[in-house]
Amino acid sequence: MNEMGGGRIVGIDLGTTNSLVAYVSGGVPSVIRDRGGDALVPSVVSIDRAGTVYVGREAQRRLLIEAGRTAYSIKRFMGKGIEDVRGEARHMPFHIGGDAVVKIGLGERAFTPPELSAFVLRELKHRAAAFFTARGDADPGVDRAVVTVPAYFNDAQRTATRDAGRIAGLDVVRIINEPTAACLAYGLDRTRTGVIAVYDLGGGTFDISILRVEDQVFQVLATNGDTHLGGDDIDVRLMDFVLEQRPPGSYGTPEARQELRRAVIQGKCDLSELGETSIDGMTLTRGQFETLIAPIVERTVGPCRQAMADANVAPSEIDEVVLVGGSSRIPLVRRIAEQLFGRKPHTDLNPDEVVALGAAVQADILMTGNRTMLLLDVTPLSLGIETMGGATSKIITRNSPIPATGSEIFTTGVDNQTAVDIHVVQGERELVQDNRSLARFKLRGIPPMAAGLPRVQVHFQIDADGILSVTASELRTQVEQTIEVKPSYGLTDEEVERMLLDSFEHAEADFEARLLIDARNEAETVIHATEKSLRHPDFAAVEREQFAQGERQKIESIVAGLKMVMGSRDRETIQKWTKALNDATGHLAEIMINRSVQAALAGKHIDDA
Amino acid sequence: MLASRRNFFSFLGLPRKLNLDIADLDERYRALSRQFHPDYFFHSPPAERRASLESTSYLNDAYRTLKNPVARIEYLLNLEGMVEPGTRPANAGAAAAVPPALLEQVFALNEELDEIRAEREQGAPADRIQARLDRARVTVERQHVEHEECLRQLAVDWDATGDRRVLEALKERLAERNYIKNLLAGIERELAALENLSA
Repeated sequence: MNEMGGGRIVGIDLGTTNSLVAYVSGGVPSVIRDRGGDALVPSVVSIDRAGTVYVGREAQRRLLIEAGRTAYSIKRFMGKGIEDVRGEARHMPFHIGGDAVVKIGLGERAFTPPELSAFVLRELKHRAAAFFTARGDADPGVDRAVVTVPAYFNDAQRTATRDAGRIAGLDVVRIINEPTAACLAYGLDRTRTGVIAVYDLGGGTFDISILRVEDQVFQVLATNGDTHLGGDDIDVRLMDFVLEQRPPGSYGTPEARQELRRAVIQGKCDLSELGETSIDGMTLTRGQFETLIAPIVERTVGPCRQAMADANVAPSEIDEVVLVGGSSRIPLVRRIAEQLFGRKPHTDLNPDEVVALGAAVQADILMTGNRTMLLLDVTPLSLGIETMGGATSKIITRNSPIPATGSEIFTTGVDNQTAVDIHVVQGERELVQDNRSLARFKLRGIPPMAAGLPRVQVHFQIDADGILSVTASELRTQVEQTIEVKPSYGLTDEEVERMLLDSFEHAEADFEARLLIDARNEAETVIHATEKSLRHPDFAAVEREQFAQGERQKIESIVAGLKMVMGSRDRETIQKWTKALNDATGHLAEIMINRSVQAALAGKHIDDA
Repeated sequence: MLASRRNFFSFLGLPRKLNLDIADLDERYRALSRQFHPDYFFHSPPAERRASLESTSYLNDAYRTLKNPVARIEYLLNLEGMVEPGTRPANAGAAAAVPPALLEQVFALNEELDEIRAEREQGAPADRIQARLDRARVTVERQHVEHEECLRQLAVDWDATGDRRVLEALKERLAERNYIKNLLAGIERELAALENLSA
């Protein structure tokens, strides 16, 4: 396949707990791993006192050191206002503020969720670019991506995800739904026809999608879910359980609280394999665990029933069930899914990776124009407008295939009125106040006429990403209306632009942090190799027979010196000492290699420890 | 807009009939999606991409409208000029006048609901109120079923004759149907209130 750098599109799963990037090569999708073979980048961002940004495992480690400067589960705040998340922040070490857009305080600075997600996206971008560089691609740059979101994400949450991409310098060419992506990945090697239920319980969100697959067309019939239901809730439940058993004031500091969270997550994972585990010295059986979390897992049942009703399929008509998301490893979750649909679920693909793989498949379809497969998705929530008395009038109902349009005709209430206010909401409830406010529009420039005479047609378009845009015109005069969009939750274009500019500054700090981490890693590698040689059983003979006077002492003093500077932030000094150690041990390395070669020739076994 | 010059039926290559083979509709929908979907026009010039988006949107709107039997009738009435364009009969029920055929019954039901509410306020036993509500619901539901059957019959008549008088009848029955739906919703609300009370 022709893989030009400029045309490349990767697939990204931007998860609550972990994020990962995947691509398709020769028709086969695979996830991109780091040198250690790890595909998952924990969706954690930390900022130290000097302003250096850490992402992923490094940031996760900092949760135990500087919890107040470290953010996780950022996805739960995307597209949210402060009043949505007040209850959310229990046990979270960071400060939450803001108004229509949440702000997460890390040390002295505050970030919007899209800005923090952008750090994670940038890390994935670097990882992918490093991979394509190593592979020898002429243009290894990555600047376009298909990004997945929970199917039940509303307009504001989708827009926030796209904004995060923009801030990270990534053009999000398509947003696709996570369960649909998973279905694509599963559908790759099948040409079968049937109805598939995808049950996706992740770190922070739950989705259920019912699809019909026919002629390689993946048609979503209905979707439902809960964007505040996932592994995080299980962790919080377990943390509360432990705290209830301990004296008041236990785990008082944010760092101690994070130690507990880590122990609880470990315990939770253990209980997927074992009948019993211990959390910080406290025994927990699988039975107790299941009793604790049953109310959480049972919250998935209602959305599943609703999705089947909307899709007009009975459980008996479902041919296959696919489980996705890390929380689907929990045996109780599997049992509940199995009961709901009356059949054993598929779990052959790694539930952490399958969504990213599907995103890569969709990226490949866009990139190559390959017409084998086609994804037809729906909008998860009804789109409506406020009518008299605060009632909602639905314009595009939930589970309508997207892209979709709808229109509504407005008129004026008083003579010569030239502007009309329109309030757009998303949700299923009768009253506007119970639904999610998306935006308020003002229609201006209506020609002055008697009340009730103007006919202003407002046209709503939901695009293939599930994001809304609005246009309007007056039908009698054909006058195009101007619309002032005031999103109820979310960033304006200007704010995103500014954040993009800000991010260049961070990018520099970011880059410096990356170099520092690389320098430390290299220093560690050289020290480790040197110490191994010095401990080698043959070393005494080497020193006696082949070393110059004081050569060993010199090496040892450089090792000690490097160890001292390694903890500092002074990258150049670390690199200078690393180079000095490399130079000083060149002779030793040569001797050791020669000896091992000779030993091998002599058939003598070399103990490599 | 590119596709709006046509109508949903012709766009999907279907006659203006009310009884559709849903499997056939699904197949046409998939085939046309393959033809127009924006995913396949990612590298195309902006004008083509716009056309792809508009055609796919129109296709999706057509599919969701024609797949639903009631929306299909409403759309046909609209297309045949039986309904003022732009007004949406589906939501008209709440504000609309009571259809003449239902007058007597609506009057009786409202009286019944008033009595039930009064009983509830006086603290009548929940099961007694529940029984009255259930009786009221059974009556309205039976009527709902009759109406659905009537609509089905009229749809068959329209497909066979194309007679505009059938459309008139469809329009009336549809208005009644929406009204009956509202009545049922009213009873459901009372039942829900009762459940909240006992919970």
